[in-house]
Amino acid sequence: MSIPIAEQHSLPSRLADRLERINRRAIYLFVAVSLSLPIIADVQMKPAPMATARALYEAVNALNPEDGKIVLIAADWGPGTMAENRPQTALAIEHLMRKRQPFALISIYTLAVPFLEEVPNTIKRRLEVEMPGQTWEYGRDWVNLGYRPGGIIMIQRLAKAENLHEALKTDANETPIAQIPMMRSVKTAKDISMLMQFTGLVGVFNYWLQFFPGPTFVHGCTSITIPEAFIYYSSKQIVGFFEGLAGAAYYETILDEAYPGRSGESLALATNTGLAFAQLVVLGFIVLGNAGVLLRKVMRS
Amino acid sequence: MVEGTPEYFSVLWWQVLLGGVSTLAIFSFLYRENPIYRIFEHVFIGIATGYTTIATVRFFLWPEVFKPLLGLDRVRYPDGTFDAPYNELNLLYLLPMSFGLLFYCILTKRHKWLAQLVIGCQLGAAGGLAFKGTFTELLPQVFDSFRSFYVPGSVTDSLTNIFFVVTLLCSLAYFFFTFKRSPGGAVELSSTTGRWLMMGCFGAFFGSTIMARMALLVERLEFLINDWTPIFFQ
Repeated sequence: MSIPIAEQHSLPSRLADRLERINRRAIYLFVAVSLSLPIIADVQMKPAPMATARALYEAVNALNPEDGKIVLIAADWGPGTMAENRPQTALAIEHLMRKRQPFALISIYTLAVPFLEEVPNTIKRRLEVEMPGQTWEYGRDWVNLGYRPGGIIMIQRLAKAENLHEALKTDANETPIAQIPMMRSVKTAKDISMLMQFTGLVGVFNYWLQFFPGPTFVHGCTSITIPEAFIYYSSKQIVGFFEGLAGAAYYETILDEAYPGRSGESLALATNTGLAFAQLVVLGFIVLGNAGVLLRKVMRS
Repeated sequence: MVEGTPEYFSVLWWQVLLGGVSTLAIFSFLYRENPIYRIFEHVFIGIATGYTTIATVRFFLWPEVFKPLLGLDRVRYPDGTFDAPYNELNLLYLLPMSFGLLFYCILTKRHKWLAQLVIGCQLGAAGGLAFKGTFTELLPQVFDSFRSFYVPGSVTDSLTNIFFVVTLLCSLAYFFFTFKRSPGGAVELSSTTGRWLMMGCFGAFFGSTIMARMALLVERLEFLINDWTPIFFQ
C-alpha cells in the first residue's frame, strides 16, 4: 500500500525515516565514545559471576606445586585476538606465579612469539613490586618453550614422547631442556598436571583436545566461540574456561578477593566495563532501528 | 601494553608512535575508503607475510633441519673438535625433503603429476589424523548426551537435562531427511522446533561475535588512550 505524499512528509514519517537510516558513522562514534569513557574515567564495574571462570580458578587452586609436575600453557594467539586472549593468559600466569606452580609456555602460532616472552615477565615485575623480597625466576618458576612448528604432528609428538628433553631439545633461548631446573623432573606428558590452552584461532583448540589427552584441560576462548566452548565444558572435556574478556574480568575479581593485597593496573576489568557500556549503546541502536520499522508499519496500516 | 611512558625519540617511543598512526590509518576506513588506509593495509599484509617466512626459517628450517643436517647442533670446543661425532643418520632428512620439494613441480605442466604425489600424501595423512581426532573429540560428547531426566534432589538439573535432550533430538530431526514429513506429524513438529531452537543458538553466536569485535576495538582504544596519547605529553 503506497503512502500519500502529504503523509510522507509528516513528522512520524520523517522520524521513521531517520530511525531507519541512522548514519553508520554516528554508530561508530557512539560505540567508540562508550568504549573509551570508562577507560578515560577509570570506571570499573564488577562483572557478572561466571561458573566457568570459577571452575577454572578452582582447578588451578587444586594444583599441588610440590608434586614435581608442571602446567603447560599453549598460548596460540597473536595480535589479532590479544584483546581477549592476553588478559586471560596474563591472569592465569599471575595465579600460577602466586601459587608458585611452575609452568611452561608454548605455541603453535608464529605470531605468539613476542608474547611468550613479554607476558610472564610483565607479571613477574608486577608481583615483585607488590611483594618486595620475593622473586620469580626464569627456569625455576617458568620456562618459554617458544614457537613450535608442525601443528598436530608436534602436539602428538609431545603427547607421546618418552623423553620430553629429547623431543623438545631446547627452550626459546636455546638452553637445553635438561639444564633447566624446573624441567629436570619433567620427562613425559604424564608430568604435566594441567594444560591451559588460549586461542581465538579456528581449529587450534580442537588440535590440543584431540591429540593431547591426559592432563586436566582448561581453555581461554574469544567471545565468538563461547557458545561452542560450552559444548566441551558440558561434556567435561574441559573443566573450566574464560568466556572471552568478561570471563577474564570475573577471574580478576576472584583473584582480588583471594589476594587482598593485589595491586597494579587492572588487566581486564576496565576494558570489560567499556564493553558493557558499548553493548548498551548497540542495544539502544537496535531498539531505535526496530522502532523506526515498527512506526513505518503502523503508519502503513 | 607498554609499561611506563617511553622517553622522547627512543626506540620504544617510535614503536608506540607508529603503532598509533597505523591504528588510526586503519580506522580511517570507518569514515570512508581512502589511500592512507590502502597503504597501511598493504604494509600490514607485507609485514605478516615476511614475518611468517622468517619465522618458518628461524624456528623450523634452521634448528630442525639444517643445523642437524650440517652437524651444527654439536658443541664445538676451542681446539676445533666436537662433543659428539656427526650423526650420519641425519642425512636421511634429505629423503623427505626431496620428496616435499616435488611440490614445486606444480609449476611445470610436464611434471606436475609429481606434485600430486606430495598432495596425495598430505591428504592421506590429514584424513587419518582427522579420523582419529574426530572420534577422540566427539565420543565424550555423545556419552554426555545420555542424561537422566530425573536428578534426585535437583529440579534445576532435571529440567536442564530434559531441555538438553529435547534440544538435541529436535536439532537432529531438522537434519533428518529419510522419512516423509507429513504436515503436523512428529518429524515435522520436532524439525520445526529444532529450527527455532537453532535460531536461538545462532542468535547467541551473533551476540558473541559482536562482543568479540568490540573487544578488539576496546583494546586498540585502550592503547591509543593509555599508551599512545601520553607519548606526546611528557
